[in-house]
Amino acid sequence: MTAERVYRLLLRVYPSDFRSEYGHEMTLIFRDEYRMRGATALAFWMSIAWDLTHSAMSVWADSLIARGKNYTQIFEAIMRIAAILAASLGVFGALNAVAEGLAMRGRGMLERPPVLAVVLGGVAGVLLIVAGAAVVRSTRSARNTATIALVASLLIVSIVRLTNPWMSELSELIGIALPVALLAVLHWPRRHDDSSASPA
Amino acid sequence: MPQTKRSPLTPESQLPLAPASFQILLALVDGERHGYSIMKEVTARTDGAVRMGPGTLYGALKRLLEGGLVEESEQRSDAELGDDRRRYYRLTKFGLRVARLEARRLEAMVRAARRKKLIGTETA
Repeated sequence: MTAERVYRLLLRVYPSDFRSEYGHEMTLIFRDEYRMRGATALAFWMSIAWDLTHSAMSVWADSLIARGKNYTQIFEAIMRIAAILAASLGVFGALNAVAEGLAMRGRGMLERPPVLAVVLGGVAGVLLIVAGAAVVRSTRSARNTATIALVASLLIVSIVRLTNPWMSELSELIGIALPVALLAVLHWPRRHDDSSASPA
Repeated sequence: MPQTKRSPLTPESQLPLAPASFQILLALVDGERHGYSIMKEVTARTDGAVRMGPGTLYGALKRLLEGGLVEESEQRSDAELGDDRRRYYRLTKFGLRVARLEARRLEAMVRAARRKKLIGTETA
């Protein structure tokens, strides 16, 4: 096995994208150095081993940081989608609360209109809209606002659910599952949190 | 294929430069060079005190390219080294500004060291 082939094998310590971009050039330099400094010089191979070891760690660190940035961008996109979903379902939830109250009253299933439940359902819907708008802003204070709005919405819907057993499964899903999912998305641990504030 | 990336960052935000990065920028101040030429220039300029391996060189070059401090010019062979086509690199205007700022930063540190008589007073 020639020295150049050995070096090409050693290049596998680098990330594949770095290797495909610079592997050929690095092999050319290795060949040049090999010719200049002598094939059997132990010092030459020691310097190559040292170079590979410490530069590979640095290149891997850069590569992982770059990947982390990509993950953060994906996460931001998920947050925006979740925010739009929250706002849309907030509107739907508010309207649904009114519609359900009216339907129950029309069928005569309730002795008196569930005014409190309808009002609370509407408030929960509005809170979801607020949370959605805050999530889109994607700042620390907006995230706190969104958290408060979501917890409040969750509490209100839970109270309505306990006091008004006629609440539909769809309303339960919207009112309980969505805030829980959004809270999870908001507080999922992220790398490079608020990294835009301090460029390098 | 020539590869150029403009950085949205200010030259000041790039400081301090890693030693290997500054050595590469210094080597490219004279004009465009390929990787091996950069290595040889650094070794010659520092009297062999700094020897960059291929991994260190291209790791630093990758960061300089991504930061917009250096750009690829073209691929061509070097008559002294054979027929293999090599990538040539050159400084961008942004890279030149960063190199100047880094040189000034280091100069200020040396001045401070002189004022404190850390250097410049050796008798031997």
